[in-house]
Amino acid sequence: MPGPTVIERLVADVGRQIRLRRAEFYGLRGLFWGAVAAVVPLVVKESFGVWSYVAAALLLIGGATAGALRGFLMRLPQAEAARLADRGYGLAERVSTALEWSSRPDRTPIVDALVADASTRVEQLGARRIIVRRVPREARLVPVPLVIGLALAAAPPIPLPEGRLPSFSVSREDDEEKAPPDRSGEMQEAERKQATRRDPVQRADVQERNLSPRLGGGGQSQPGDLAAVFKDTSLGGRAPDFNSFLKKGDDRLRMLEQLDRIPDLQSDFTQNQTRMVFQKAKALRGGLDPNKKVSPEKLRELLSEMERLGRKNGGQGQAGNWSGDVYEGMEALEGGQSDKAMEAMERALNKMRSMEERGRDGKSLKGGRESERRGGRRGDKGSGQQAGGPGDEGDFPEGEGLLPGRGKSTSPKGDATSRLSGNPFDVGVEGEARPGRKQGIDTNMLGRGAQMPSRMQYMGVLGQYRKMMEESIAREQVPRDFQGQVKEYFQSLDEK
Amino acid sequence: MAQPPVSSQPQEQRVTEFVSSYQALRAEVGKIIVGHADVVGQVLVGLFAGGHVLLEGVPGLGKTLLIKTLAESLELTFSRIQFTPDLMPGDIIGTNIIVEDAQARKHFQFQRGPIFGHILLADEVNRATPKTQSALLEGMQEGAVTVSGAAHPLPSPFFVLATQNPIEMEGTYPLPEAQLDRFLFKLRVRYPGLEELTEIIDRTTHVRQVEVRRVLTGAQVLAMRELVREIPIASHVRDLASFIVLGTHPQWEGAPEATRRFIRYGASPRGAQALVLGSKVRAISEGRFNVSVDDLRATALPALRHRLILNFEGEAEGIDVDDLIGQIVENAESRSGSGKEVFLR
Repeated sequence: MPGPTVIERLVADVGRQIRLRRAEFYGLRGLFWGAVAAVVPLVVKESFGVWSYVAAALLLIGGATAGALRGFLMRLPQAEAARLADRGYGLAERVSTALEWSSRPDRTPIVDALVADASTRVEQLGARRIIVRRVPREARLVPVPLVIGLALAAAPPIPLPEGRLPSFSVSREDDEEKAPPDRSGEMQEAERKQATRRDPVQRADVQERNLSPRLGGGGQSQPGDLAAVFKDTSLGGRAPDFNSFLKKGDDRLRMLEQLDRIPDLQSDFTQNQTRMVFQKAKALRGGLDPNKKVSPEKLRELLSEMERLGRKNGGQGQAGNWSGDVYEGMEALEGGQSDKAMEAMERALNKMRSMEERGRDGKSLKGGRESERRGGRRGDKGSGQQAGGPGDEGDFPEGEGLLPGRGKSTSPKGDATSRLSGNPFDVGVEGEARPGRKQGIDTNMLGRGAQMPSRMQYMGVLGQYRKMMEESIAREQVPRDFQGQVKEYFQSLDEK
Repeated sequence: MAQPPVSSQPQEQRVTEFVSSYQALRAEVGKIIVGHADVVGQVLVGLFAGGHVLLEGVPGLGKTLLIKTLAESLELTFSRIQFTPDLMPGDIIGTNIIVEDAQARKHFQFQRGPIFGHILLADEVNRATPKTQSALLEGMQEGAVTVSGAAHPLPSPFFVLATQNPIEMEGTYPLPEAQLDRFLFKLRVRYPGLEELTEIIDRTTHVRQVEVRRVLTGAQVLAMRELVREIPIASHVRDLASFIVLGTHPQWEGAPEATRRFIRYGASPRGAQALVLGSKVRAISEGRFNVSVDDLRATALPALRHRLILNFEGEAEGIDVDDLIGQIVENAESRSGSGKEVFLR
């Protein structure tokens, strides 16, 4: 039958066009991804050398080829090609219908006419490409990885970071030679030097000895106690495993020594000022590092603070008067004699400490603000009791105590607290309105008068108004129904 | 153009005759009816597909004249029923009456109603009560009516052309869905344009001298109906018809968003039948031996617009069913693989 042959030839031709277009489409897509992948070997060309270029070229070509092959070999049913032929040539589904119905057993006689008609029309068609080229989105981005790849190929190799794990099998001598230069802790440095002087023969002994756990602060170590191992710094210095540990320890110790960089948590006002001065003096003396030099600025600052504190507590006896030492220290500091200034500061501190110790004897152990406040108040009242120091207070006589009515006050309820008399909001002042429930009956006034308290008795004036109302009703010609309503209104006011 | 093979000559001839008859009938109707080419074409499609057509339009657009002209163009009996609220089913179907024979014996005899005609014009069908409207149901679907237990076949071809007015809805009874589904097509008769209106004035205000010829007999119409059913349809076109009909159902997972939002009930399988049959008539009327996607597109509107029931949201937003069908067809084409990227799959 010539009809279907012509149609099949057309469908085969369209199928070839479709495969070519698919190959183009997926080839471009593969080219893009191949170019993206080709960038990777060019990045690491320092390691692979010429092979990076080879790999990049292979990835580029391979991506495009694989994509094109995939597109060309994709499944293509004949019916689909026929449909596209119908659409491409404007055959109104003649080819696909004829192709489908020509092989069906239930074909009607009119199918022959259809096949003939379709064949006739197909023979009149000129050979042309009906499948339009479609460009994938990735194709527009192909230049990006290509340019990057070319740039990488032309550029010098990118130095790659050398990630090397610490060698645990390195010999002791190598370890000693390659001591880290940034190790600044002098104590650790001394220990390390000591470790290098050790006899290599002793090392085996150290490693094989049984370590016992520490008992309390300085007990004998038991076998398996790692704390004892760490305590033995010479062992730590010699064993390569402890190098990193020691370095971290150095860093932490250094951080602890830099107190001025630590947040000043001591500036809490709940702290005793004297105690703060002690803390600052301790920090000033160098903390854990005895070789650290004293900062003149900080010393001056501390001395001025001590001087201020001395002025504040000036009337507390000779023992508490450290101002002279402070002045002496400041003069020495002005003269550039830091040592003398430090000595003077130490003397002042000793006096301060002795005063603090006296303040903690006996009942004054309670300490704190409460006792200071009580002592201060008694002093203010001039009771005549000699105070030994801040926070010191005598016993209450018999029958007196802290409870209201049991204290020193003659008032059975005790003294009025200062808070009540000083707070105007807790005191009722005559003539002023205050929020809350009012005792008088409220009026329904509006306007400015509503803000003011009523000066007339509501119930007093209500009777007058009612009387006036009745007179008015009698005088005016008010309808009877309205009279009742007016009376009811005033009655309702009365009920309130 | 090359000649088709000899074996297909008779089929070719049948199709050619179909086309010529179709064109002749259309030309006869066109003598009277000005414009409304698509409406006339769809009416003829309905006639040759073996369905019934509902015409909707405001009064005075020539709906009744179109049907009368069509009836005059065919050698077929024609009946007209003016539907009114007091019309009874018996007035349409007929009734048993007592007759007296020569021996003075009385017996019941079935008096046929106006439904017993080849072409039935149900004018303003929505003005009758649903009870009366339902008298048409059996005849439209089965081609027969049953009175007092006796079935009376209707003449063949039986073609109902109903008209209804979309305005003046007071005192009307909208056709129930079951009745609407019996109509193959629902056509909207639009207002004529300037040129058409001028032509109408010229033709109708002069002495009428136009005579309509009878160009087709009932037998020819039936033969053409048979030929229509022989037209092959490709599987992917048939699938597209199925996708279109399924796309009218909001429950279907492939339905477009508009369907889900605005449609309460979609088209029945009768809708798919109407779609394919109408497409076949359209194809053969253009001299083609197969159904194309364009045929489905052109037939979708008249075949489906009366089968979609909008939900409250659709009614409230005044959704045009024709727009909705357009979206459904587009969605179906993309789903059935008629998209541009088909060669990439």
